[in-house]
Amino acid sequence: MGNLFDSQVEIAWCPGCGNFGILRALKGALTELGFSPEEVVLVSGIGQAAKLPHYIAANVFNGLHGRSIPVALAVKTVNPRLLVIAESGDGCMYGEGGNHFLHALRRNPDITVIVHNNQVYGLTKGQASPTSEEGFVSKAQPWGNLSLPLNPLSLAISQDASFVARGFSGDVDKLKEIIKEALTWRGFSLIDVLQPCVTFNRVNTFAWYKERVYYLDDSYQPEDRIKALEKSLEWGDKIPLGVIYQHQRPTFQDKIYSQIEEEDLIYRGVNFDDLFSRGLRLFT
Amino acid sequence: MDLNLLVGGEAGQGVQTVSGALSTILQRSGYFVFSIEDYQSRIRGGHSFTQVRFSTTPLRAALKEVDILACLNEETYQLHRRRVKEGGWVLGAVGNEREAHFQHFLPLNFEKIAEGVGNKIFANIVAVGAILGILGLDLESADSYLEEIFARKGEEIVEKNKQALRRGRDEVIPYVSSPLIEETRRGNSSLLVLDGNQALGWGALLSGCQFYSAYPMTPSTGILNFISSHAKEYGVVVEQAEDEIAAINMAIGASYAGARAMTATSGGGFCLMAEGLGLAAMTETPLVVVDAQRPGPSTGLPTRTSQGDLEFVIHASHDEFPRFVFAPRDPQEAINLVIRAFNLAEKYQVPVIILSDQYLADSKWTYENLEVKERPDAPQFSSFPLPYRRYLISPSGVSPRAIPGLGKALVVADSDEHDEFGHLTEDLNLRVEMHKKRMRKKETMRKEVRLPYHREGKDLTLIGWGSTWGVIEEAGERLKAEGIDSGIIHFSEIYPLPLQIEELFSHVSLPVVVENNYGGQLANLLERELKLPFPFRINSYNGRPFLVEELLLKVKEVGKNG
Ligand SMILES: Cc1ncc(C[n+]2csc(CCOP(=O)(O)OP(=O)(O)O)c2C)c(N)n1
Ligand code: SF4
Ligand SMILES: [Mg+2]
Repeated sequence: MGNLFDSQVEIAWCPGCGNFGILRALKGALTELGFSPEEVVLVSGIGQAAKLPHYIAANVFNGLHGRSIPVALAVKTVNPRLLVIAESGDGCMYGEGGNHFLHALRRNPDITVIVHNNQVYGLTKGQASPTSEEGFVSKAQPWGNLSLPLNPLSLAISQDASFVARGFSGDVDKLKEIIKEALTWRGFSLIDVLQPCVTFNRVNTFAWYKERVYYLDDSYQPEDRIKALEKSLEWGDKIPLGVIYQHQRPTFQDKIYSQIEEEDLIYRGVNFDDLFSRGLRLFT
Repeated sequence: MDLNLLVGGEAGQGVQTVSGALSTILQRSGYFVFSIEDYQSRIRGGHSFTQVRFSTTPLRAALKEVDILACLNEETYQLHRRRVKEGGWVLGAVGNEREAHFQHFLPLNFEKIAEGVGNKIFANIVAVGAILGILGLDLESADSYLEEIFARKGEEIVEKNKQALRRGRDEVIPYVSSPLIEETRRGNSSLLVLDGNQALGWGALLSGCQFYSAYPMTPSTGILNFISSHAKEYGVVVEQAEDEIAAINMAIGASYAGARAMTATSGGGFCLMAEGLGLAAMTETPLVVVDAQRPGPSTGLPTRTSQGDLEFVIHASHDEFPRFVFAPRDPQEAINLVIRAFNLAEKYQVPVIILSDQYLADSKWTYENLEVKERPDAPQFSSFPLPYRRYLISPSGVSPRAIPGLGKALVVADSDEHDEFGHLTEDLNLRVEMHKKRMRKKETMRKEVRLPYHREGKDLTLIGWGSTWGVIEEAGERLKAEGIDSGIIHFSEIYPLPLQIEELFSHVSLPVVVENNYGGQLANLLERELKLPFPFRINSYNGRPFLVEELLLKVKEVGKNG
């Protein structure tokens, strides 16, 4: 079925890749929420995941490896009326861009960050990523990955991130619902999406995830930070999915605009003639 | 009249307060002031000093010879005593009697005198009082300045500072037979004191810059502080980024979204920004970046000056792309060049780099009439058919620019090589066309660049760029007074070299290139592009700016060999 967000660009992912599920879920979420392509900006870094914006008809800024978050933050700040999504792989967001990820948690910009977490570097052909399991074997790590995997959810919750969720690309409908919640959330929202890489990750396969994932039920209270932290530490035989933590707090845009007593910078415009005459007067 | 004051001490003794006080008081008393700061990268101890030169006519450079040397510690005396002019004054409980060969040696113990007011921390203001006494200035402007800067600290502190000022003055009065200032001026409130960082900040504000992101790094931090202090009035989003990589990527994001955006740093931070610079070039996003140079490589000398980054910023980031590189010669030009930088960054959709340095950043200049000649242009968003091609291959290389969310166009920007729509491509024929499109801009950009400031001289031509303009001019005037006809060619817009540059260089007298670096980076650029030799070079890389007398000596040395 045709979709407003359909793009003509040929998709370069391997057949069966988990990225397809994320693409479908995101397009579905945007459509169901009633957005039009002009009001959406997709910002990405570099990697297999980072190609996704090209496969959606919207505004796109496909920037540098690791640097999607600073760009997304600035776009949203300049034009808060846009829906801004930063989207990339686990290597891009948690490795090369780890510092920006940390500081986005502190700032709370009103953007949604979707991480395609395949626990591997896909585009560069299979090296360990920040979320690869200890012992993960690759050409670059023939003796197995020596480091422990990063737990992005615990990290985000410990820093009081505003909205923290986990999805699974193998369940497009549920993933779409989580994305819709994140997109309508006011403040920073993180969705770490378990995404099988069928070519380079022979450990964390579709079957591997399927056996382990389960959804948090209605009795789960995502407002309780300590409980959320506990939940986020669950990994192994059972892996929880859904919104794990949420806490509403003022956004970066709210705070900065109240400081400078402006709103929606780009719509204010600049009176260049006035600036010029100011310049003439200022120093005489 | 042309007098030069030097006050030194260790960090924490308030040398910078002295500099601010003397510059402002002298300026408000109607004099043109030129001051420089020399300090170490530390909060306490070490040696720091300020030089405040003032005159009844405009000033552009710092001098070596000193009329009054005020020493808040012994080290100041040992380091600078040879610079005191014949007939000059030395103040401070320093040296010993045998060394008191100066005509006016007043062994004032500033700290002791300050203790009389209640605390030795007032020693710096005692020194200011003593200097004003020798100069013969009344304390009216000084009082009002002290009221302004210490108001926050309360009535008592203001009073004590005023007392300290008077004690200092009273100590010297018996020794002053005729005050140093012969020509008294009426206070001229329209004189304005401005340093390079403030000027760059003004440039951004007057350009309509709406987004400024930066990571603190000396000597660029003053720009961040300045823009923050005016953010509300001018409606600028200012964000201290987590690192320089974030700073430049934020600025690029803001510019993509339609705001005029700038970032600033020093060489080390610019290294981190290199990939971002390429991103601005590849996505054809307008961007203004200031590099306030300091000596390197690596951390180098944080608080000292250098012109060592010219070759770096011309080439920074991998592969090739056009960019402008400007270097203002003084604060007035800094304001104008930033406005021009924003206009040109937008017109050509390229990065513009502005090279400042610690000397320009921290030196205070006085203006009677500061001219802001450049007019900030409102961005032109031309019309285009849909679907929108962000990277339409055009004869000029510049494609119509649209802003996301402000119309029907979907704006697709990509750091990968891309097609006209902005989608990534591996079509190598397209790659060739896209690369040519970007590089083509350089031809028109060259026409845009203004020729260097030029005055002919029959005997030799001093060539420089950026902050060395003032000292080169003054050295040239002194040479003239000695019968040597010295001309000048001074670049403020360096790269790309302007179109008629070859013509200009086809008839210059003996060229001598003066630079604050080791390799002679402008000289190298000129040699490469003009295919002419520039063997006569004066290079200094000790972290300090050229002083007029020093440069004069060096030029004469070259003259002997040349
Ligand atoms: C500065 C820089 N360093 C390295 C690379 C090479 N590189 C491209 S993608 C990538 C890792 C991709 O892994 P991830 O972000 O997890 O994305 P995936 O391909 O797995 O979706 C690397 C190392 C690059 N493009 N830029
Ligand atoms: S390499 Fe892995 S992540 Fe990349 S497209 Fe193929 S399956 Fe997907
Ligand atoms: Mg990955």
